[in-house]
Amino acid sequence: MSAIFDDFPVPGKQVPGDFAKTGQSLSIFLAPAGIVAAARYMKDRQYFIEDVTGLDLAEGFCALYHFAHFEKPGRVTLRVLASRENPAIPSITGVYQGAEWHERETRDFFGIIFEGNPNDGPLLLADEDVAPPLLKDDAKRAVLQKAWPYEAMGVNPVPAAKPAPAAAKPATPATEVTK
Amino acid sequence: MSHCAATELTGDTYTRRFDKGPTGDTLIVNMGPQHPSTHGVLRVIIELDGEYILRAEPVLGYVHRMHEKMGEVKSFTQYLPNMGRVDYLHAMAWNWAYVGAVEKLGGVEVPERAEYLRVIATELGRISSHLVWWGAYLLDLGAFTPIMYAFDDREIILDLLQIITGSRLTYCYFRFGGVIADVTPAFVSGLTEFLARFKSRLPMYKDLVTDNAILRKRCEEIGVIDVDMARRYGATGPVLRGSGVAYDTRRAEPYGIYDRFDFEIPVFPEGDAMARYMVRMREMEESVKIIEQALAQMPGGEHLSAKAPKPAWKPGVGEAYFAVEGARGKIGVYVVSDGTKNPYRVKLRAPSYCNLSLFPELAQGVILADAVSIMGSLDLVIPEIDR
Repeated sequence: MSAIFDDFPVPGKQVPGDFAKTGQSLSIFLAPAGIVAAARYMKDRQYFIEDVTGLDLAEGFCALYHFAHFEKPGRVTLRVLASRENPAIPSITGVYQGAEWHERETRDFFGIIFEGNPNDGPLLLADEDVAPPLLKDDAKRAVLQKAWPYEAMGVNPVPAAKPAPAAAKPATPATEVTK
Repeated sequence: MSHCAATELTGDTYTRRFDKGPTGDTLIVNMGPQHPSTHGVLRVIIELDGEYILRAEPVLGYVHRMHEKMGEVKSFTQYLPNMGRVDYLHAMAWNWAYVGAVEKLGGVEVPERAEYLRVIATELGRISSHLVWWGAYLLDLGAFTPIMYAFDDREIILDLLQIITGSRLTYCYFRFGGVIADVTPAFVSGLTEFLARFKSRLPMYKDLVTDNAILRKRCEEIGVIDVDMARRYGATGPVLRGSGVAYDTRRAEPYGIYDRFDFEIPVFPEGDAMARYMVRMREMEESVKIIEQALAQMPGGEHLSAKAPKPAWKPGVGEAYFAVEGARGKIGVYVVSDGTKNPYRVKLRAPSYCNLSLFPELAQGVILADAVSIMGSLDLVIPEIDR
């Protein structure tokens, strides 16, 4: 499929993908504030939730929401970038109740806060202060997703002054702040 | 966030009356983590009013091993054995999900013969997993004998898989670009013998167990899941197909060579525990059909590509999501690579995890004994949930 949603309710950049190569037929890049409306849109179109997960990138924390459909082929991924200083993203448990556990797991592993999740306890990790295990060292954080349209996600690109994690890759050019 | 449509659909008059007038005199009970019907170390906190469940909350993490972190500190190849340990009942499907994701990422070709070997091993795993579920579920419901029959059949499958994989439970059979070993003549003759035997056993299971009135009373109209609930929680596999949705990853996102086989996707519309039971029983028949066709069609050639990646191989920068149909539902592996020898991120989507997440909603207002039946009908594997 990989058709773009014409009537998507929130501003976001839609990028069709090659399902055969990456397993993603459409990626939508959003600012955190738009995620609940986006999830409601997916629910109205009868998509089911596959999972929610995180990525620790040089640009900040990325939350990935994977959706698939019982009748249509393909996978739609919503990508939301939250800053490292304020890693807060609204919870979509009001739309997809199944997201509760995925969000709690992502909070356990990355420390991303999902505001509005009905349960603030740990899910898989012990009930005590454990450092989020999937955080990367500063030097190891990837600027993998150079091609991602950060402006659409409401978060700044990595400043040029910061040394690029991988020597082969040029630092992302500094652009004006897009708060 | 109560969506308690379940109480209107399940239970008897007592159940329905219960919701209207709780006594306020409730009891909190911990079921597990060492309870026999929780199949491993799952704990469920239950608030009971008499025998009825007001609230249930699963507590996870007792066998959490942080497989996703292990993926980041091991190389792509070193991580392979972990896949046999995520879901110990259908390890083959996890093998395939991870190997498939990395092959997609690195563009690795798989020889024809290896594709057939993968199908045979995975479908044998599915039968073996469903047999364990069947025996254990009936054990939950108080029928002791069926698990003896189930393990009798499963023993033969384990012997067969031992010939090609060298192990009996935590298989590490798949490699990037094929499988580690070819089948032997002893495997082929043993498998042919097993399929003939198993086809004669299935009618016996139906006569002895499936048609049993006591089993039906424990399963019919118990734990009804509708399609919307399945969507909200991401339920897949037999749990979803027992709610009337013909969604099977083997057909929905075709992988390997499943498009070459003639098999049905069993669907039962009732949505109750019995429908899930029937789906799994029918799926074993379909798996037999697939294995027979695969054996008949299997071409010669190599089982591992000559160009298969070496242990220190790096697949290059990128991401890939690959899903397969496991015995419990859609297994997804999402791999991100930054071009080094270790994965940058490995995300494991476990079907039992999503299927269990709907239990609190499903258990509201049902009698405790029915909760045991519901939990068994979800076919949980705790190491997969906790990962």
